[in-house]
Formats: sequence, structure tokens, C-alpha cells
Amino acid sequence: MKNKKPINLVTATFVPLFTLLIIFPTVALVAKVNMSGLNDILADRYFWMSVSNTFIAAIGAALLGLVLAVGFGYFHVFHRNSWFYKIANLFNDLPIALPHTVAGLALLIAFGRNNFGFVSNTGFAFNLFAVMISMFFVSYPLCARAIASGVDQIDQEMISVARTLGDSPVQAYFKVVLPSIGEAVFSGTVLAFSRALSEFAAVIMFGGNLPGKTQSLASYVFTKVEEGETEMAIAASVFCILLSLAIVLFLSIRRRVKNARN
Amino acid sequence: MLVIKDVCKTYGKQTVLNNTSMTVEEGIRVLLGINGCGKSTLLKIITGVADADSGSVQLKGEELLNLPPEKRRIGYVPQHTALFPNMTAYDNILYGLRSKEAKQAAKAHVDELIEMLELGDFLNKRPGQLSGGYKSRVSLARALAPDPNLMLLDEPLSDVDVVMKERLLPEFKKVIHTLGIPAIYVTHDPSEAQQVGDSFCSMVQGNISGHDNAAAAFDFIRQEEIKHLEANLLK
Repeated sequence: MKNKKPINLVTATFVPLFTLLIIFPTVALVAKVNMSGLNDILADRYFWMSVSNTFIAAIGAALLGLVLAVGFGYFHVFHRNSWFYKIANLFNDLPIALPHTVAGLALLIAFGRNNFGFVSNTGFAFNLFAVMISMFFVSYPLCARAIASGVDQIDQEMISVARTLGDSPVQAYFKVVLPSIGEAVFSGTVLAFSRALSEFAAVIMFGGNLPGKTQSLASYVFTKVEEGETEMAIAASVFCILLSLAIVLFLSIRRRVKNARN
Repeated sequence: MLVIKDVCKTYGKQTVLNNTSMTVEEGIRVLLGINGCGKSTLLKIITGVADADSGSVQLKGEELLNLPPEKRRIGYVPQHTALFPNMTAYDNILYGLRSKEAKQAAKAHVDELIEMLELGDFLNKRPGQLSGGYKSRVSLARALAPDPNLMLLDEPLSDVDVVMKERLLPEFKKVIHTLGIPAIYVTHDPSEAQQVGDSFCSMVQGNISGHDNAAAAFDFIRQEEIKHLEANLLK
């Protein structure tokens, strides 16, 4: 007969709290889903439009985030003492700490009708582009941090060698640094994409919640709760959970395959 | 010929190089020094990846400090090889040959390097698949392929065991002699220094002195460090 190991304090705290606070709410929501709610959202064209809006805007946000994060990584390698890098580094963490309603309001004031009224009645606000910028604003730091952390882990002498072999800083960055941290670039982009998918507050402030036009999945769920369509809200929420799980699973399988290859 | 004259470098309040001067005419000049004495900083200044506060570094009469690293034509073999992990050994070796024409022109030279360093069977392998000894060989071949005017080797065999080091040192020396490129070889190991060096110098607190052999250089470093320690204790 096996001896039972005594349960230590960490296990006794972690397991019940994790089960109660993380697993239980998710399971409670999934358990509430029913066929009627599912059928209703599947037949609702605004649901599918919110799915398509969310994907288009989140892909755009992740790609824009990638471009900026690659630029930030370059400054992280070659211009760490520059004043702009120091400012960028400070502002990188701002969207993480900031309430996202504040981020949305800041975008609305910066790119709304006051400054860009000549573009349209609402400036750049309340369209799909605004949804994408809102998602980008809150998700970009994840990609930038992933790239900076990847850069910190490579042998810095590789950059010195590349320079002595004829590379300019830009060439060394694109030919040596980025290919060496491909995994960090990929994970950062996927993380930024999944964060963008779930953004609500900044999107609703700057992009609005116009069904079929700027409504995202998160704001669709919010609208259905407000309208008292709880079954549809639950069904749409479960769709969001499955989407997030698919991304997490994809990352996990990819990591395992990579580890097995190495 | 490399002439380093009165090079100074400080990091914050710490002076690393203080009017450091040195000359390399031909062969392998070993620079012996304990960790943290400023050897690697001096190499970084010669390659151009770090800036000197003042002084002059001239190679074949040309001032290097005004040139970016990519224009200096210096071969650099760092500690831990720093091979590019996403490329094969062959692509690593060819990295410094910028164009197709340059690669074609240097083909005979590259083939000679591959033969001398016995890399023929390992060209398609990635750095992760190579042993420490072969990584060091690829790193040396990569630095030599563009036919540099000067070689800088910063403890290039720190990742290999003693037996492999005994085997590689004469090989490295032979290759560098055959190609006739002046070199600075940095190490803190006197026996490694004696095996590889043609001339010897020591570095203590950022100052360089010449010596007849590695043992004399090492004795000088030991005495200077003891003096420095005593002076600090008496303060």
C-alpha cells in the first residue's frame, strides 16, 4: 500500500483557491449554456458580424503591435541610453496599469472630432479602425515585452560579431537578432492577438458599440446582458471561452512539438 | 600594424582603461590579465562596439575610432563562440562575405579554412548540434573568412575542456600564422598563453606592459595585484 504524502500549506492554499476562483466561474458559465441560446446566437447576424469585427480588428491590432514591438526591440538593443527609449519604456507599461476606460477616453480625445474633425464628424472614432486602435493600445505592450525579454536572453556577443562581419545595426537586428528570437516574436504576437480579442472598455469608449459596425464579441455579450437576453449572452460567452482555449491549446501544442524536435 | 595610443575609458566613476597603449606588429600577441582588468573592454573599443573616451587606435595607418565596426575589417572571436543559432555552420562561416561575388571570390580561401580546421563533415550542422571544439573552430573560420586585417580572440577556448584545448591551440596558431594576420589573443591562463603566443603582454588596472614570456607576464600581474591589494588594505 502506498503511503499518502502529507498535504503542505502551499498545496492546501493553491488547489482550493484556484478551483474556486478560476475553474468554478468558467464551469458555472459553461454549465448554463443551452441549445436555445446557442441557436439564437447562431441565427443572429449581429453575432457573426461581431465575430468578424473582433477578428479583423484583433488581427490588425496584433500586426500593428508587432511592427511597433519590433521597433521597440531595436531601441532596446541599440539605443538603450537614448531619451526616447526611456520614454517608450515608461509608456509601454502604462496601458497595462491604466484603467482601459481611461485608455479609450485618451484615444477619443486624441483622435476624436476635436483634433480630427476634418476627417469625419467623429474624427477617427466610432468605426472599425477605432476598434482596432483601441485593441492595439492595450495589447501592444505584451508583444513589446516579449520581444525585449527575448532580446535579453540571446548572447549579446552575436550582435558584436555581426557588426564586425559587416552588418549595420539594422542589418544585425533583422538578420541575427530577430531570427534568433523567433519564438518570442511569435508568442508575443499571439498573446497580443488574444488580449486584443477580449478587450472591452477601451473599444466601447473609442470604437463604440454599434451593432454590425463596431460591435465586438465582448460588447455583444454586454449588450445581450443589458437587453435581458441572458441565454444569448451565455452562449456568446462560451464561444469566447472556446476561442481563448483554442489559442492557449495551440500555443501549448506548438511548444511541445518544438521541445520534442529539440 | 596596430597601434593603440593613450586610450581611456570610464564607466560611471570607474576607470577601466587609463592611457592604455599597445602595439601589434605581426604574429599572435597574447594579452594576459585577470578577470575585470579591462581586456574585453579594450577589444570592444578596437572592434568598435564600444566607444573610447579618448585616445587613438590605428590599423595600417588608418584611424579606426572614426569608423563604424562594419568598416574596420577586424575578425572577432568572442568567448562562448556566439554562433548564429538559426544558421548552419557553413552559413555562419560565409556570413561576413556580403555578396554572391564576394562568396565566389573567397571560395578557395573558405575551402582552405574548412580543410585546415577539419570542418568538412560538419558544414550542414547547426550550432546546437556541434561540440564545443567544433563551435570554436566555426567561430574562428567565420572571423577569418572575410580576410580581416586584424584578429581579436577573446578567450576563444573558454568553453572547451583541457584536452580539447591542448589539441586546438596549435591548430589555431597554425591557421593564423599561415594566413599571416596579426592577432591579439586574450586569456587569463598562462599555459594557454605560452602555447599560442609569439609575444606577450600583461594588463593590470588598465595598463599594459610587455614581457619575454607568459610566465614573466603572469608573475608581473601577480606582483602588481598584491601591491594593489596591500595599498587598498592600508587605505
